[in-house]
Amino acid sequence: MASVPSKLYTDDVSLVVVLLDTNPFFWGATTFPFSEFLRHVLAFLNSILLLNQLNQVVVIATGLSSCDYVFDSSAPSKVEGLESGRMPVLYSRVLQRLEEFVGSDERSVRSNGGRRRGGTLAVVGVVGLLDIQRVFRSGALHPQPRGSPDGPEQYVAVMNAIFSAQRSMVPIDSCVIGAQHSAFLQQASYITGGVYLKPPKLDGLFQYLSTIFATDLHCRSFLQLPKPVGVDFRASSVFGQANPETTATTTDRKRKALEV
Amino acid sequence: MPQVRIIAKNFMDMVAALPAMKLDMLYDNTFICEAVLRSLPPLAKKYVLQFLFIDDPVTAKSMEEWVLVDGFSKHRVAIDRLIQLRVFLEITDRKKEISYKLNPKFQGNLRKYLVHGSVLASLASFLHSFSCNFICSQFAYHSGALPREPMPSNITVRLPTLEELDVYALEQWEDRGVDPADLISFLLELSFHATGQAYNLNTLTDVQIHTLKDLADLGLVKLQQGRKESWFIPTKLATNLSMSLTDSSSRKEGFVVVETNFRLYAYSTSKLHSEILRLFSRVEYQLPNLIVGAITKESLYNAFENGITSEQIISFLQQNAHPRVAERTPSVPENVADQIRLWETDLNRVEITPAHFYDEFPSKVVFEAASDYAREIGGFLWEDSKKMRLVVNADVHAQMREFIRQQK
Repeated sequence: MASVPSKLYTDDVSLVVVLLDTNPFFWGATTFPFSEFLRHVLAFLNSILLLNQLNQVVVIATGLSSCDYVFDSSAPSKVEGLESGRMPVLYSRVLQRLEEFVGSDERSVRSNGGRRRGGTLAVVGVVGLLDIQRVFRSGALHPQPRGSPDGPEQYVAVMNAIFSAQRSMVPIDSCVIGAQHSAFLQQASYITGGVYLKPPKLDGLFQYLSTIFATDLHCRSFLQLPKPVGVDFRASSVFGQANPETTATTTDRKRKALEV
Repeated sequence: MPQVRIIAKNFMDMVAALPAMKLDMLYDNTFICEAVLRSLPPLAKKYVLQFLFIDDPVTAKSMEEWVLVDGFSKHRVAIDRLIQLRVFLEITDRKKEISYKLNPKFQGNLRKYLVHGSVLASLASFLHSFSCNFICSQFAYHSGALPREPMPSNITVRLPTLEELDVYALEQWEDRGVDPADLISFLLELSFHATGQAYNLNTLTDVQIHTLKDLADLGLVKLQQGRKESWFIPTKLATNLSMSLTDSSSRKEGFVVVETNFRLYAYSTSKLHSEILRLFSRVEYQLPNLIVGAITKESLYNAFENGITSEQIISFLQQNAHPRVAERTPSVPENVADQIRLWETDLNRVEITPAHFYDEFPSKVVFEAASDYAREIGGFLWEDSKKMRLVVNADVHAQMREFIRQQK
């Protein structure tokens, strides 16, 4: 399957939809603390907003069984926004909402008797796309989502989300944290013309984010960005027949999508 | 050294023209760092972000490797701009290799910004649209939609032209020896003030007070004399300047549709918009969210009399084109744009050129030689061969005189 040619953009106004994986099982098991990760991501979000006053950032968190909006830079917040001391409004709002989200996600998992519902990645992808569609209709911005974990039972739904993204020419960038590559995200980025990257050094995460993922779609047409080394298409067929054992480990990635 | 000189004079170019020392001083201010960053070409912004947490210089060669062949000219422009603004410092090492690093002050401020704080969006928008907003402000003068107060006689008698407003800051610096750094910081600060609030002049320096008086002339602020103290109040126009940044999304999203039959539809509820349109078009209907008008010769003549030029009108229509039509090129139908220009040139049928008039040529031969010579050197304006009279451009008078003398 050929990846789509990207749309031509004449300015650098970006709508970046970031899908954040907050799966506690993954973060509990990895050596890279979530707080550290968040620091890099927040600085990255801030830098997107810094680059152009028309840029928009939307953050959607995905947990074990649910997903929700955590931040939307276009939402009016003038009241508290103007002088909230040293702490940027962005950070405090993201952190606060994130905490609420993690709490409610935990409760919903408990009430479910500890069973995870599959398909959060797909749901999140769709939510992200809907948001992008909304913005598309109301103005001419360029969007970007990012996805979440591989779970065989999600395969069809995830693929649907990817194809919708491809159809609406929304590149999906993936930044994978954790030991394994994500076949879903490799495919998503490949098909939609986004960038897939698994940073070798997590300490410098911000540098990867700012160098690669913060590149707006306009600039992408004249810069060298990481090319896929290989895309794991195998997943498409293998995951087709759900393999129950992989479920528990699939969530060990973080990805981000960004952009213009 | 910069290889591409950008000629267009906008606010940022003025900033770029400052001496290195002054520029470095400006970068002490985080607002300015942010505004400068936002004014950069997209690729340049990206480079800055990329360099933000890199302390060592990066060689020019390795930077070029990031760029695809197609993007090379963009890369060049971006780098030149960065160097002009002293955001990038160029370092040549012993091997004559060029490398770049971020201006440490600039870098430090932006790092702090990313980690600790966010600056109001309006500031940058202010700077950003500093020049392009003037058209709006000028329209606003005519429309009377703004508070009347700050309209001293010299403005009402002689409306400022776009250029006058645009080079205002520049003149300030050159003519009065005002420190440009002060002025820029002050303009920036002003954009953060709330409209309608009175601010005490006590806290300002002499230079700022002086500037404020000029701004009052331009209608940006209103000065108020109290018994003991004086105050200044930013006017709606000043808010417009900075607001158009915050609401530049809505500004970006144009509202005007111009049809080839000279009809004009504006989807807007704003009174200011309707007043602006009224300046150069005949408004026919006004619905709650729609203004329908027609561009007519009479309405345009009105505008021209008020000192609005056809280019201003066309660029206003283009800049505010409704998204549906903005996708098309041209967004304003060609026949309408051309007609607007034609009507304007209609008004300027007479062109005045300083000239010299020659007559009483001794002979037809001398006259013809002189006339041919004038054509040759490009100074010929008019001749009457029967009466042997010739008019040439004043510039070539000396040459003509020399030539005719030789003929004799």
